Amino acid sequence: MTDMSVEKPGASVSRATRESKIALPILIVLVVFLAAAPWWAGRADMRLMVEIFYYLVLAQMWNLLAGYAGLVSIGQQAYVGIGGYMLFIGTVFLGVHPLAAVIVAGVAAAILALPSGALLFRLRGPYFAIGAWVLAETFRLIFAQVSALGGGSGMSLPTDIVRSIADGRSAREAVVYWTALGLAVGSVVAVYYLLRSRFGLALTAIRDNEEASGSLGVNAWMTKFSIYIIAAFVTGMTGALIFLQKLRISPDAAFSVNDWTAFVIFMVVIGGIGTIEGPIIGVIVFFVLREFAADWGSWYLILLGTVAIVVMLKAPKGVWGYVAERWGLSILPVARRLDLNSVLDPSRKSRH
Amino acid sequence: MSIHLSKDGKTEKSALWKPSRRRFLKSSAVASAAIVSGLSFTRRARAADTIKIGFVSPKTGPLAPFAESDEFILAGVRAALGDELTLDGTTYGLEIIVKDSQSNPNRAADVASELLLSDEVNLMVVSSTPETTNPVADQCEVNEVPCISTVAPWQPWFFTRGGQPDKGFDYTYHFFWGLEDVIAVFTEMWSSLETNKSVGGLFPNDGDGNAWGDENLGFPPVLASQGFTLTDPGRYQNLSDDFSAQISAFKQANAEIVTGVMIPPDFTTFWTQAKQQGFTPKIASVGKALLFPVTVETLGDAGHNLSSEIWWTPSHPFSSSLTGASAKDVAAAYTTETGKQWTQPIGFAHALFEVAVDALTRSGDPSDYDSVRDALAETKLDTIVGPLDWSAGPVKNVAKTPLVGGQWRLGGDFTYDLVVTSNGSAPAIPTGGAFEAIA
Repeated sequence: MTDMSVEKPGASVSRATRESKIALPILIVLVVFLAAAPWWAGRADMRLMVEIFYYLVLAQMWNLLAGYAGLVSIGQQAYVGIGGYMLFIGTVFLGVHPLAAVIVAGVAAAILALPSGALLFRLRGPYFAIGAWVLAETFRLIFAQVSALGGGSGMSLPTDIVRSIADGRSAREAVVYWTALGLAVGSVVAVYYLLRSRFGLALTAIRDNEEASGSLGVNAWMTKFSIYIIAAFVTGMTGALIFLQKLRISPDAAFSVNDWTAFVIFMVVIGGIGTIEGPIIGVIVFFVLREFAADWGSWYLILLGTVAIVVMLKAPKGVWGYVAERWGLSILPVARRLDLNSVLDPSRKSRH
Repeated sequence: MSIHLSKDGKTEKSALWKPSRRRFLKSSAVASAAIVSGLSFTRRARAADTIKIGFVSPKTGPLAPFAESDEFILAGVRAALGDELTLDGTTYGLEIIVKDSQSNPNRAADVASELLLSDEVNLMVVSSTPETTNPVADQCEVNEVPCISTVAPWQPWFFTRGGQPDKGFDYTYHFFWGLEDVIAVFTEMWSSLETNKSVGGLFPNDGDGNAWGDENLGFPPVLASQGFTLTDPGRYQNLSDDFSAQISAFKQANAEIVTGVMIPPDFTTFWTQAKQQGFTPKIASVGKALLFPVTVETLGDAGHNLSSEIWWTPSHPFSSSLTGASAKDVAAAYTTETGKQWTQPIGFAHALFEVAVDALTRSGDPSDYDSVRDALAETKLDTIVGPLDWSAGPVKNVAKTPLVGGQWRLGGDFTYDLVVTSNGSAPAIPTGGAFEAIA
């Protein structure tokens, strides 16, 4: 980790925390371990992990929007759906390789996000949230009219295209797995560095006081708009990956507000909004609950609702927010800390 | 709606609380153990001597009425087999694993792959609408595990999955009737009454609606050739709350017949609004919406003589290859056990397991996917829904079951009884009365 600490006589400003220094090598080992999954995990585990990874990406992106840019959107399923449909258009009609189609899907989502974002950014707060949902519904209705894509009935990904991903079943599954892992790790790293950059500083300023940040020269509109486009790009790629695994798309599946936004909001809120660690915790909590309770029928959904209510009442900052506050932990720190120990304790001289 | 939270939880630190690394490590160890056990939970090894059948059905959500009788059917199948399967003198354990699709195609694909990859089922069975059968069949096709599906007309199952009639699919097999049957049944009912042959069509933009309303394969060409004029105001979205446009189009065309394939809440809305706006056709034959007595009951008396396709009734002259019970016996047992009126999916849910057990038994090696698939393809079985034969299908991988038509009538054993009135396509199935106009 780059040591960003600025040496000042007697005091220092640092970004790294003790935990973050310990955690970094552990995280690297974990990623290497996960990357080796095709050699140690079963097919079912790998499939489950792909699902965990794409939910992690969706959660990171929603958190970036809501937790950092203050853009509470309940319409991110628009970009999942567009990404998913671009996978089908790209592979079935344009003959693009499925993995290349994942990138194409991200680009297409980002391009469509330009006019959509420009439109939505005329709305604020709850109006923005509902507007985003309306926009996603509009996309759903538009795709339902396209008969080449099966209209409201949807279509399946031809077996030949699935087989073209790689030679053989295990190679195919490994490639899809690595793509998902790459997206997940990539999104966490990207958000981390984004927030530590000047851009992140601007975001923090906007979040704390939009008017004041404007007086300091921060272009709030452009900063938020860029975040919206980045989130659309990554969400679009994730959408393509999701439907590469689902094999079948229909407007209701692609633009499902429950699957691609409500569950994601659950994860971010449970884990801790406005932290990078929060969505990771939230995704884990969600999947642990699902693995054990999904067969309970309606009771499973009631359980999710209850958990959400309890966490919001007892730990409004989510699980990670609670942990971080009580134990003072930060594994992926993006804030600057003023360290006064060296002033108060003369025995601790700054290093030279 | 604004969410303002600290960017980094490290702003405040309670001075009273001394951090205990040991405590943190302990709780994180518990958490990771939970995660690891969550993963290993999905990695149950397949016992060599147990044959597993995966069953996906919409137990919750809007399609739940289709799955209402599942528990009853499963209990009957388990009782008949005693959790065992004997072939060539070898006894295998038999396990049926049920997963809920939550009426959601995304979830259907997920639970199907859970069954395929972690439970490693030997055979998949799936039922109830293209939204459930298609994602599950797609997962099976790619993972090369045999799959039997039903309760979805064969065209939306076959064509929207990219099926080509000469090539078909390698691992997925379907049995049900098709659009040609429902068209034949509906036109037979309509021809038995004196009308002006003006038909209003209500086709939603979903798997069934697009197939029924299709210009080449659906209702329009057949109706035209039989002298009916069809007024089709276009595809509407499911869960519409206003059918005024359709109603006024039908009034304008002086439609005496209304047809379509609607989800139950939409039909209720349409029928109520039609009454309010003074539109009363002589005949209303609607697919899907009128399958369940509970839907008709919500209409009060306005449900009398509404007509529908009928795929299965207790009066169907068929019996189970598993238990020997007749259609009448099974329906009566269902009513005795649950206190509820029989529904059409009962027969088909039972038939799924008849076909599954038959294919496994004939396969020679029920643990080998390809042997089971080959046995499935050669199926010729008399089931509780009629004789099934995949070699006689309209396209590869599809076997057809007989279809008749009938009406809901007030004043029988239940609030409304479903009476077979038109059996031109399947004369073996007895009628219970003549077709009547809506009063």
